[in-house]
Amino acid sequence: MFRAGMMGTLSKEQSAADRHPDAGRLDQVVTTPEEFDRVVAQALPALLDRATSYTKRFLRETGQWSDDVAHEKFVLRWGAEYLERFLVCGRSEVPCRPLFLLDSLVARQHSQPEPFCYHPELLTPLGRLIDGLLSRAAISRDALIALYYHCYGLGPGQVIAVLGMAGSESQRIYKNFQRWRDTGWQRAMEDAGISADEIAEFSRQQATHRHRFNADAERLIRFAQAHYRKSEPDHYACPSPVEWEDMFAQGYGTDYRIWHLALCVDCLQTAWDVGGARTASIDKPRVDFRIHPS
Amino acid sequence: MDHEHLDTYRGHLLNRVERRAEHARRHTSHPFHLFINEQRVGELDGMGREATLQVQHPARIQTVQVRSEDGVLLGGLCAPEHGYKTAHIAIGRDSIDLDVRNHAQGGTVNAAYTPAPPLWSRARRLFDRATDRRASTSAPPLYVPAMRTMAFTQVLVAAVLVGVVADRWTGWSTQERTPPPVTPAQAPWVAPMAEVAKLEQRLTDLMQMQTKAIDTMQTQQQTMAQLQRTITKLSAAQETVASGVVTVQREIEKREKGVGREVDRMSRLLMTRAQNAQEELQAEIQSLTIANDRLSKERLDLERSNQELKQRLKAAGIDISKAAPSKAGSGDLAQREQPANTQIAEGRRSSEPAPLLFWVTFQEGTSEDSIERLVREVQGRKGTITDGWQAVEIVHPVESPDRFLDKIRQAKIVKAVRTVEAR
Repeated sequence: MFRAGMMGTLSKEQSAADRHPDAGRLDQVVTTPEEFDRVVAQALPALLDRATSYTKRFLRETGQWSDDVAHEKFVLRWGAEYLERFLVCGRSEVPCRPLFLLDSLVARQHSQPEPFCYHPELLTPLGRLIDGLLSRAAISRDALIALYYHCYGLGPGQVIAVLGMAGSESQRIYKNFQRWRDTGWQRAMEDAGISADEIAEFSRQQATHRHRFNADAERLIRFAQAHYRKSEPDHYACPSPVEWEDMFAQGYGTDYRIWHLALCVDCLQTAWDVGGARTASIDKPRVDFRIHPS
Repeated sequence: MDHEHLDTYRGHLLNRVERRAEHARRHTSHPFHLFINEQRVGELDGMGREATLQVQHPARIQTVQVRSEDGVLLGGLCAPEHGYKTAHIAIGRDSIDLDVRNHAQGGTVNAAYTPAPPLWSRARRLFDRATDRRASTSAPPLYVPAMRTMAFTQVLVAAVLVGVVADRWTGWSTQERTPPPVTPAQAPWVAPMAEVAKLEQRLTDLMQMQTKAIDTMQTQQQTMAQLQRTITKLSAAQETVASGVVTVQREIEKREKGVGREVDRMSRLLMTRAQNAQEELQAEIQSLTIANDRLSKERLDLERSNQELKQRLKAAGIDISKAAPSKAGSGDLAQREQPANTQIAEGRRSSEPAPLLFWVTFQEGTSEDSIERLVREVQGRKGTITDGWQAVEIVHPVESPDRFLDKIRQAKIVKAVRTVEAR
C-alpha cells in the first residue's frame, strides 16, 4: 500500500514535470553559477511544483495530510521557502544537476525531527496569521520586535522600557517598528497567504468577541512560541527568576532579552515579577493579540 | 473560488522568489544577520565600515545564510562535509565574504563585510580599468602603473614648458608696446628674464625630483611584485600543508579502521575456538551422561536381581521350615538350620559374582585381532584352546551369565558358546 502510494505520488510528479518543458534541462549538469542562475530562472514553476509535491508527500507519509486549501497553502509556502534556499545555496554547489540538488536539499530538510511548525490548529485562518508572524520573527529582527506589539500590545517606547535598553539600541527598535509598519507586516501577510477579507473578518471577530478571540490566540501563540524559540538555540533555555533579576540588574544579555522574551510569555512575566522588566507606566505584560501593526 | 485563491497565492510566491535576487541587489538594511543551519548565530554590524564575525559551531555546519534586518535572504552557501568553502555575496555595492570550514567536530564560519568604496575611489578604479584596457596589449601588467605615472609626468612637464614658452612669446611680442601701468601689488608678477631663468631652473629640479620619485615607485612596485610572489608561494605551501593534514587524518582513520578490523578478526577467531571447545565439552558431557544413565540402569537391574535372590532365599527358608517334622529335637534343629545358613552364605557370596568361564568357537576366517578385541570388550581373559574352543574367563561379570552369554552369541564373529568344557 505504501509502495502504491509512493508510485502514485511519483507518477504525479512525472506528469508535473511533463507540464513544464524547462524541467527537462534541470537534470543536466551546470558548471558555473551564472549557468545555474539562468537554467533555474527558466524553470521556477517546475521547481516550485517539485518542492511542493515533496512537502505534500512528507505530510501524507507522516499522516498529517488533509485535502483542503489550508494544507495546499501550507505546502506551497514551504515549497517556496525551500526553493528560495535552493536558489541561494545552489550557486555554491556547482557543478551539479539542479533537479537532484533540490531533491537532496528538501530531503535533508525533511529528515530533521521537526522540519517545520505543523499543527492542525495552526492551519486555521487565525493559526496561519499567528504562524505567519512568528515564523517571520525567526528570520527577521523587524518581525521579532513587532511581536512585542502583536502578542503583548507593547509599543516601541514600552519595548525599550521593558527590555531596559538605551542609546543606539533604542533607535534600532524604532527603526524596526517603522520598517515593519511600512512593508514588513504586509509582506508577512502575503507570504502566509492571508487575504484582506480574512483580516477584515479577524477584526470583526476581535471587536465582537474580544475575550474569546484573545484566548484562542494565546493558546496558539504559546504553541508557536515553543517551536520558534528553537530557531535561536543559545536563547532557547528559560533562565530562572534569579538569573533574570541578575541579567537586568547587571545590564548584560541584551540580545538574550530581546530574542527570548519576544518568544516566551512566561519568561516575560517572570522578568516582570522579579523587577527587571518592571516599569511604573506599564501594566504587567500578558497576551493581548493585535492584528494590525502599531 | 478556492482554486483561484490557490493560484493567486502560488503566483505571489513565485513572484517573490523571482524578485528575491533583485531585492538582494538593492537592499541595504543593516545590520546583516548570520544563520547557521537555519539558526541565528550573530550579526554583522556593517554601518558603512568593515566588520567581521567569527562563529564556532559545535555541530557540523550544513548551510550558512545571510539575511537582512527585515528577513530577506541575501545569500548563503551549502557547507562541504569536510574541508572549507568560500562565497562572495554582493549586496548592492557592498559585499560579504563567507568562509566556512567543517572539522571532525563542528565547524567555523568567518564572515567579513566590506562596504562600497567611496566615490573618488570608484572613479579612480574606472580610470585604471580604462587605462589597463589600452595598455594591456602592449605592456606586461607589472609595468603598467609605472608607465602610467611616467606618461602623466611627461604630460605635466610638457604643459609647464608650453606655459613658459607662451609666457616668453607674450613677453617678446609685447616688448615694443607700452607697458601697462603696474601697481605695487602686481610688481612681483612682472618678472625679468633672470626670474624666468630661475623658474626654468626650478622646473628642471622638479623634473629631476619626479624622475627620482618614478624610480622609487618602480622599485616599490618591484618589491610589491616580489611580495605578491612570496605570498602566492606561501599560500600554495599552506594549501599543501592543509591537504597534507587532511591526507594524514584520512590515513589515521584508515589505520584505525584497519586495526579495528584486525581486532574484530582476532576476536571472531577466538570466539569460534571457544565455541568449538564448548561444543566438544558439551558432547563429552552428553556422552558421559549417557554412560552414567546406562550404569545407573545396570545398577538398578543388579539391585533388582539381588532383591529377587533374597526373596527367593527367604521363600526357600520358609519352605524348608514348613517341610521339617515338628517333633524333631533341638539337635536336629541345628542340623536343619545348617543348610539354610549355607544357602545364606552362598547367597552372600552370590552378591559378589563368581568368575564366569565359558568356551567359544569363532566363525571361519576370524582374525586373531577381532578375537582379542571381543575379549577386551567383555573385559575377559583368554584361556587355552581345546578342539577349536577358546576358553574365556570373566573375572568380574556385571551381568547375569545367561544374559551375558546371549550377548556373546550375538557377536558376528562368534559361532557357538558353551559353559561346559569339551571332552
